[in-house]
Amino acid sequence: MLETILCIDDDPITLMLCKMVIKKALFSNEIATAKNGEEAIKHFDNLKTNHSINKPQLIFLDLNMPVMNGWEFLERFITEEYSEYHDTKVIILSSTIDPQDLEKSKKYPMVIDFLSKPISKEMLEFLKNKI
Amino acid sequence: MKNKTNQTTIIYILASIFLAIIYREVFSIVFPSNPSSFSLLNNILFILFSGIILRYVLYKNDIRNSEIYRKLKNTNNEIKESNEKYDIVSKATSDIIWDWKITEDTMTWNKGIESVFGYNQDQVGKTSEWWFDNIHPEDTIKMSIKLYSFIEQKTEKWQDQYRFKCADGSYKYVLDRGFILKDENGKSVRMIGAIQDITKQKEEEQRLKLLETVITHTKDSVIITKADLNDGKFPSIVYVNPAFSATSGYSSDEIIGKSPEVFISTNADLEEHQKLINAIKNKEECQIETLSYKKNKEAYWVNFNMLPVYDSEGELSHWVSIQRDITEDKKQEVEKEQLIKELTQNNKDLQQFSYITSHNLRAPLSNLTGLLNLIEDIPIENQELKEIIDGFNKSTHLLNDTINDLVKVIIIKDNPSIEKESLMLKDIFEDVFSQLDFLIGLHKPIILFNFEEISFLNTNKSYLESILLNLLTNSIKYKSENRKLKISIAAHDLGDSVILIFKDNGIGIDLERNKDKIFGLYQRFHDYPDSKGLGLYLVKSQVETMGGTISIESKVNIGTTFTLTFKNR
Repeated sequence: MLETILCIDDDPITLMLCKMVIKKALFSNEIATAKNGEEAIKHFDNLKTNHSINKPQLIFLDLNMPVMNGWEFLERFITEEYSEYHDTKVIILSSTIDPQDLEKSKKYPMVIDFLSKPISKEMLEFLKNKI
Repeated sequence: MKNKTNQTTIIYILASIFLAIIYREVFSIVFPSNPSSFSLLNNILFILFSGIILRYVLYKNDIRNSEIYRKLKNTNNEIKESNEKYDIVSKATSDIIWDWKITEDTMTWNKGIESVFGYNQDQVGKTSEWWFDNIHPEDTIKMSIKLYSFIEQKTEKWQDQYRFKCADGSYKYVLDRGFILKDENGKSVRMIGAIQDITKQKEEEQRLKLLETVITHTKDSVIITKADLNDGKFPSIVYVNPAFSATSGYSSDEIIGKSPEVFISTNADLEEHQKLINAIKNKEECQIETLSYKKNKEAYWVNFNMLPVYDSEGELSHWVSIQRDITEDKKQEVEKEQLIKELTQNNKDLQQFSYITSHNLRAPLSNLTGLLNLIEDIPIENQELKEIIDGFNKSTHLLNDTINDLVKVIIIKDNPSIEKESLMLKDIFEDVFSQLDFLIGLHKPIILFNFEEISFLNTNKSYLESILLNLLTNSIKYKSENRKLKISIAAHDLGDSVILIFKDNGIGIDLERNKDKIFGLYQRFHDYPDSKGLGLYLVKSQVETMGGTISIESKVNIGTTFTLTFKNR
């Protein structure tokens, strides 16, 4: 079981579903959430100063989000500024069907998988083995 | 001659002397008493004298006779020579000589009538009627009018062209020339003519006329110029056709002798212009597109083509230039490009739109399925709620399937060129069968393969697998209840293409009714609960994306055959 994970998605129902499934599957103890890329970046900025918060071991990242989308988040996250979190793995969890998105995701070394929504127990079992 | 004269004279003298002696002897016997009345000497003198006169007369006569003889002989020789000459000419000439005695109306022909027109001497008529009968009906009237006005001496010379019928029924163009012989009263009595076969010249003339119509009637401008560069400029013009005048506004009088630079823009495209100059220098064919100016200074685009023309000695004699007005083409090309650009953009927008739409549909739908998955684990006491959630569940999954199918279509349509690899047919089928393990185990169809001709196929793995999966599941789904399902799959090598034939003995499809719909989207031909009308649409899309074609043959209750054709390379 993982200690902490971060779910980034603009849809509250998706976030709710994530929490419920993750809890049920006993995938992680703690689940942090962010409504878009910018909130996620802020979360990491907080982590730098506030050491009482655990840093996430895994991120579930949606692509289509307002303010800062998944790609923009990855562009920021990959910079030196966040190098201390580069061991955090990223799973893209999206409803996209654009094949170019899959190709694009391969550019980022921390992205270890590209999965289609909805999140499910089976999916988490598969990830447990992969991590 | 002289000898004969002398001989005659001597014979006369001797005979006369002999007679004079005889006479004297007889006289002296009859009248012996009077011998003096007869003088032998006188008689002899007289005889000699008359002999000399005789000789002189004979001599004169001889001279006159020999003069006449000599003249006669000369005339004779001249006639003979002239006859010989006529024979030689008549034999040597390829012309047909005819001789018409007008008063008797008899006509004779030389050998040419056989060698040129193919008539045997016995086929040739003896009168002028035969001649006229063989003249082409369209030419007879004109020809006879001219001929008779000549015979009646209204014209000086006679020559005419007409068509004359050959023995085989075909006609030859001839040139006929004749002269006339008159009697002492000035009446025409005889006419002699020579016919020349000018069919070849006429045909050539007609051919040239025909060719000329091409130049005078074509819509393309044709210009002929001299061979050499004119002070580094284009050679001067010697001919322009009517199309050039019509397009450019220059009449041929205005433009002949001038250089094409009058109307060709030299600064529109320097590179193209130089290309043309170089081609003229190197005596090579050249084609450029350039701006040309009309007389009223209006510019238009032409496709300008220059061809060198050589004379019989192989020397460059002229340049023929053909110019086609391509202003409209150019305009259309620009329009076409604009249209393609717009369409491409439209297509891109639509594609993006479909991705976004499907994303936005899929996002809430995935939440619904996710939530329903969670409900599955929660026991529901209320029976009504259970039924409601059940219905909710089924509808959600159906919606999900539909959207996933549509997504598949979008992805196939978006991939106009896909990667192919050489794959073993056997391996592909093994993969497909392992995916259908359950269905095959359930229905146990008889499956026959024939991959003897070809074992490798250059194809896209996932597409071919999807195609075969669809076709196989269709065969199983729509099998006949009355007989065991039999599927045969064969591959044939056609050289540059490969065909896959996929045949079953299932319930078939009524093609009479459904021919146009068979590969359409959401077309269903049997009311089966799990039939969505997507399979064959996907199959066709995937086959076509790989550059192939698919066709179907089917008979209700007998079976269905699909023929897939793929390019081999």
